[in-house]
Amino acid sequence: MEVLTWIANNIFGVPAFLLGIIVLMGLMLQKKTVSQTVSGVFKAMIGFLIINAGAGIITGALNIFQPLWAEVFGLKAADLGEFMGQTAFNVKFGSAVTLAMFLGFLINVLLARFTRFKYIYLTGHMMFWTTTIFAGIIVEAVGAENVSNVKLIAFLAIFMGLYWTFQPALVQPFMRKVTGGNTIALGHTSAIVAILAALLGKIFGNKANDTEKIKLPKGLEFLRDSNVITALTMGVLFFVGAVIISFKGSVGSEELIAQAAGQNFPMYSIIQSFTFAGGIAVVLLGVKMFISEIVPAFNGIAKKIVPGAIPALDAPVVFTFAPNAVIIGFLGAFAGALIWLVVLGNTVAYVFVPTMIVLFFHGATAGVFGNSTGGVRGALIGGFVTATIVAWGQYIMVHFLNATTIPDTAMWAADSDMFVLGPIVKALAHLFF
Amino acid sequence: MKILCVCGLGQGTSLILRMNVETVLSELGIEADVDNTDVSSATSERADFIITSNELAQSLEDHAGKILIVNNYFDLTEIKQVLGGCIN
Repeated sequence: MEVLTWIANNIFGVPAFLLGIIVLMGLMLQKKTVSQTVSGVFKAMIGFLIINAGAGIITGALNIFQPLWAEVFGLKAADLGEFMGQTAFNVKFGSAVTLAMFLGFLINVLLARFTRFKYIYLTGHMMFWTTTIFAGIIVEAVGAENVSNVKLIAFLAIFMGLYWTFQPALVQPFMRKVTGGNTIALGHTSAIVAILAALLGKIFGNKANDTEKIKLPKGLEFLRDSNVITALTMGVLFFVGAVIISFKGSVGSEELIAQAAGQNFPMYSIIQSFTFAGGIAVVLLGVKMFISEIVPAFNGIAKKIVPGAIPALDAPVVFTFAPNAVIIGFLGAFAGALIWLVVLGNTVAYVFVPTMIVLFFHGATAGVFGNSTGGVRGALIGGFVTATIVAWGQYIMVHFLNATTIPDTAMWAADSDMFVLGPIVKALAHLFF
Repeated sequence: MKILCVCGLGQGTSLILRMNVETVLSELGIEADVDNTDVSSATSERADFIITSNELAQSLEDHAGKILIVNNYFDLTEIKQVLGGCIN
């Protein structure tokens, strides 16, 4: 009995070890060599721990961005307050998240096997982020001390299993229009903006005015590089904010400038923005490493159990069908984001962090789906709707749903479907826990 | 032989491509070290072949490795055509 408790606490309870065991099972099932298995397990574990390192870097930079723009807008101490943070949250609930992902995946496979919804969700990193954010919402709603791990895992596994099966199904009618076939589905949290873009494009757009008929300037490829675009946007925002602060002369401004310890404040701010981009790059490296070991295992299991399965894939699979719509949708989202940044700052006193990664992938997807029914106008509307959901969603998620758990993660990794389903998760949490 | 599968963020799409490339390689009986990453990191990673989409290929023009273009990452036939043509 003591041994079991020890194992539960020191192995299963430590997310990196639990993940290692799941990956080990997956690799053995795929009949990989000993060398591949050892390498795979270690890479998955290291990847997971890299996430914690990256999260720390991001928080550090955000702790300067929020007060900076709060001071620009003249808001009173609109900082984040006390919260757990991704690293502490991972230590306490990482195992629950990992197990819920795995069990949720099995539920997805079973639902695909026994119903006519033959979709298998294969976008591993979104599985991780969505489960994490929803776990954060539940822990926030119920209280970190009161939440039962067993209930948390069970609830998340069922909720995610249902979401991963039915989200692709809901998008599929529109997906067929975009891809011209039924071999792939969309497995991504931009589903809600994709659907909205397609619907609004049909009503307000002009399908004849297709985005692919336009000739876009060649030099826009750098937009596909997430490091560059995150650093660029955050760099501009940090710099503009810092310049305003340098001239403001208020008490708050002086306090902020003192943080640069003598270095020129706008220059210091640019470094902070690039540090933020660096933190994101580190986290993404970690997620990539561990997802690279999990998803092939999941794929192998799914192939054996569900013949005729339709893979639900990451958003970029639709990008090749309308590359111009990708850029137009993103530009629409970016413009909308800047507008909402100012509106949110001046109305509800929230400093919106324009997360380039989310705005790009979701704006682009909305652009493609909007174009499929409404041409250029549909793509732009899709982009603007994306920015609206992301801006207001981030405010509600950081301020209310995840306020004391993982607002740091919610600020850059939470996105469309999570924002829309978040309140439902909270309501259900109060019901079941 | 090292093959690098590249997508925008290095998270989802490049992984799907990598899994499918590994499947095709085992069907063709070819052994290779296959990895996946994002376009940003790809510029500094060594590889004999880079597999990516048309749009991203332009950002990797200066890479020492040979660039192979695949448009549908889940189409095993297209991947087989592209790989089979270049490696034999």
